[in-house]
Parts: sequence; C-alpha cells; structure tokens
Amino acid sequence: MNTILEYKKIKRTGVLPGCLLGGCLAAFVPILELAVRSEQYVGISKPPLQIILQADWQMMAMLNMLLVIVISCMMYHSEYADNAIQRITTLPVREEEIFIGKTILLAGMCIVLLVIEMLSLIFCTLHWFGGADGAFIKDLLQNFGYSFCMLLPVAIISLMAASAWKNMWIPLGIDVVCVFMATMIPVKYFALSIFPFALPFQILEGAKAGKVVSYLIAAAAEVLLIGAAEMIFLKVRRSLA
Amino acid sequence: MNIIETNHLTKSYAGFTAVSNVSLHIPKGTVYGFLGPNGAGKSTTMKMFLGLTKPTDGDFLIDGKKYPKDRIEILKEVGSFIEAPSFYGNLTGEENLDIVRRILGLPKSAVDDALELTGLTQWRKRLARKYSLGMKQRLGLASALIGRPPILILDEPTNGLDPVGIHEIRSLIRSLPEKLQCTVLVSSHLLSEIELMADNIGILNHGRLLFEGTLKELKQGAEMKGYDADNLEDTFLAMIEEDNFQRGGAR
Repeated sequence: MNTILEYKKIKRTGVLPGCLLGGCLAAFVPILELAVRSEQYVGISKPPLQIILQADWQMMAMLNMLLVIVISCMMYHSEYADNAIQRITTLPVREEEIFIGKTILLAGMCIVLLVIEMLSLIFCTLHWFGGADGAFIKDLLQNFGYSFCMLLPVAIISLMAASAWKNMWIPLGIDVVCVFMATMIPVKYFALSIFPFALPFQILEGAKAGKVVSYLIAAAAEVLLIGAAEMIFLKVRRSLA
Repeated sequence: MNIIETNHLTKSYAGFTAVSNVSLHIPKGTVYGFLGPNGAGKSTTMKMFLGLTKPTDGDFLIDGKKYPKDRIEILKEVGSFIEAPSFYGNLTGEENLDIVRRILGLPKSAVDDALELTGLTQWRKRLARKYSLGMKQRLGLASALIGRPPILILDEPTNGLDPVGIHEIRSLIRSLPEKLQCTVLVSSHLLSEIELMADNIGILNHGRLLFEGTLKELKQGAEMKGYDADNLEDTFLAMIEEDNFQRGGAR
C-alpha cells in the first residue's frame, strides 16, 4: 500500500525515465567495451560472465550507485520541495512507514536496473562469446542476486541521508563523496571493504565461497543497522520538534 | 461538551515561550476563532494538536483522546491546514487529494466532494505547482476537508485569497458545522474576519490566553473596561496594547 503511494508521488519527477536511462547507460558499458576491443577478451579461458564482470563491473557498479543516490534524493525532495511532508505528517501515517515504502520502491528500481544490465550481459555473451547455456543463465541470476544484495545498503543509507535534510544537495554531495571514497578503499582489508558504498563493487563470479557469505552477512547487517538507525532518527526528530 | 480541551498547554524553545499555560475549551459543533497578532502562538498551538511539535508542559484532549498516546487516532479525526499550503508540486490537484484519500482509506468519491466544496473542480487536472496562491490555498483546504472529518484545524485559511475567495471560504467555514456536523478551529490575526465566522473566540498574545468566550461576552467585557464595544477591532487592539504594556512594553 505504502509502496504504491510512494510510486504515485514520484510521477513527473523524471525518476522513472531516469532509472531506465541510467540502467541502459550502465548496460551499454560492456557492449561498448567489447565492441571496441573484443580481441582482448574472447581468447581468455574463463567463463564469459567472469570476463565481462571483471572488466566492466567497477564502472557499472559506480553508475548504479550514483543513480540510486540521485533517485533517493529525488524521492525525498518531492516531499520537502513544497512542504508536502508537513501535510503527510498530519495524517494517520507514520514517517517510518513512508521510509519503508520508499525503501521497497527503491529496491524495486534497483532490480529494474540490474535486469537491464543482465540483458546486456546476455547479449554480449551471445554476440561475442558464441552462446549461453543453462549454466550461464544460472550463474547470471546468482550474480545479479548477489549484486542486488550488495546494492541494498547503499539504497537504504542514501534514503536515510535524503530524509535528514530538506536541501537535496547536502545528502547528494555527501553520498557522492562516499562513492568516490569507496573507490579508494583497499579491498584486501575486509573491515574496510564492507563500507556500504564499497560493497556494490563486489562480484560473485570468481570469489571464494567463504568471502561471499561474509559479504552477504555484512550487507544484511548493514541494512538492518541503517534501518534501525533511521527509525531512531525519525523518533528523535519528532520528539525534538 | 468540549471536543478540544487544553490544560495549561506550554511550549518553550531555548529562552523563548511560544505558548504559555493556555487552557482552551472548544465546544463541539461550533466555529472557534483563534485570534492573535503574528507570533502570538496560534500556529504553535495548532501544531501541538497535530503532533507537529511537542508540548513542553501541560496536555490536551481531542474528542476524549490524549496526546501523545492516541496521536494516530487523533489524526484520523482531524482535517488540517497549517500555515502555507503543503502539496506535491509535481502532481495535479486531483492526484494530491488522491494521496490523502488513500492514506485516510476513503472512497474515490471523497476527492470529487472535496474539489467541489472548495471550487477546484475545473482545475483538478492542473499541476499544483502551476496553481495561483489562491488555488493552492483552496487545495490546502480541500485536503483538510476531504472525508468530511469531525474536527477541522485551519490556520489562517484565507491568506492569499482575493476578496471573492475570502468571502467564499468564510461562508464555507461558517456553514461547515451545520453541513458536515464538524467543529472548526480557525485562526486569524483579524478580529473583523473572525467576527464573521466564529461562535466562540480565544484571544492569544505572546503565548498567553487573554480572553475566551463568545463574541457577546467579549462585547460585554469591552463595555465594562470602557472600550468601544461597537468596534471590536479597536477592543482587540486595546486588549493587546494593555497586555503588552503589562508585560513591560513588549510589542
């Protein structure tokens, strides 16, 4: 119910076409890479998915994060711009429910993004690597399920930041700085690599099973912790009003 | 029977008391005019009723329900319009009301009803951000009236309206208790306006309640104090002046 409401609120904000265009842009990265220098990749004796992801996922993940950040800021900007949030908070609905509704909607948009990118990888595999079997599709689904889990902490933390400031540029700036900070984090240190904005750079293909489980646990813990922090923040903000 | 009652309601900010020991009694089925100059504490009091700001001291009952325990229950019964109109600029007037309708769990016809009541039907498909100030004000009112709630809290609802609009909204507010069987708490800084709408009035200055009662009682009080009872605007100004003087010349 709340998610449908949140979906209705973002009408004409450009969020939906932005999501589709952003997904297409990220999906275009491996196509462009292989179109320009396929000879560097087609001869490698690794699964096609691993080759493509290792070559292009860093760029795709960064585009995904930037898009998620912009969408989350736009979602709360529509609440603050004409003070709609004041009317909503005088209705029998809790701000916590609004946040959960927005989180579910944003998670849905992350799935749309990843599906577009998945389609692009299928195209690349069929076109440059000569075909995709059942095992490839299974691998692809597992990879994107993993990528979705890695993207969720970014979605929830950027929504949290967006809910905290009326001025959209503040959370947008903070989030973008965090994304660029994450690119500089040395991944060999696990504790540093679980920084929420560093998680989406992780890929399942070629990773050790133990490490994958650790990252999944870290992502789940971050989602729960950030979600709990937002609930506390909203409660405290209400009590201080 | 009072539908809204406050008991020594107080709201203080650091070094400043916006509302001080206010005890209001708002009878059911009436229009209650909340009067006071800018910064008197009218909006703060109304915000406390809606849970937008927390009382520092004192408490209040709305239809027998107590804040903060029954906050959500209170909000189900109250339609409100506080300060400037609040809306989603990217949505049409109709879509804005539909959001409110969905949250309140009302039938689809409630949107048409609210648009009709506030005369916005012909502009229902226009984006709210493209509305004129008067139309935004009407949209705010429609959003408060949707579902015909038993209690309406309206903070300076005629701000920004043209004389015709002011007359229409005033007549609408005046007719609401009879039409919708509701109670209206309406604020203004103009006694002349409140005089035309309210059954009971409360006068607030610097957060303190100076007077509460009917217009007739206000006139009687004015006569007793030697003010000109035929000109209530002057009476109101004299009361404010006197209170400011007693407070040490604050204005």
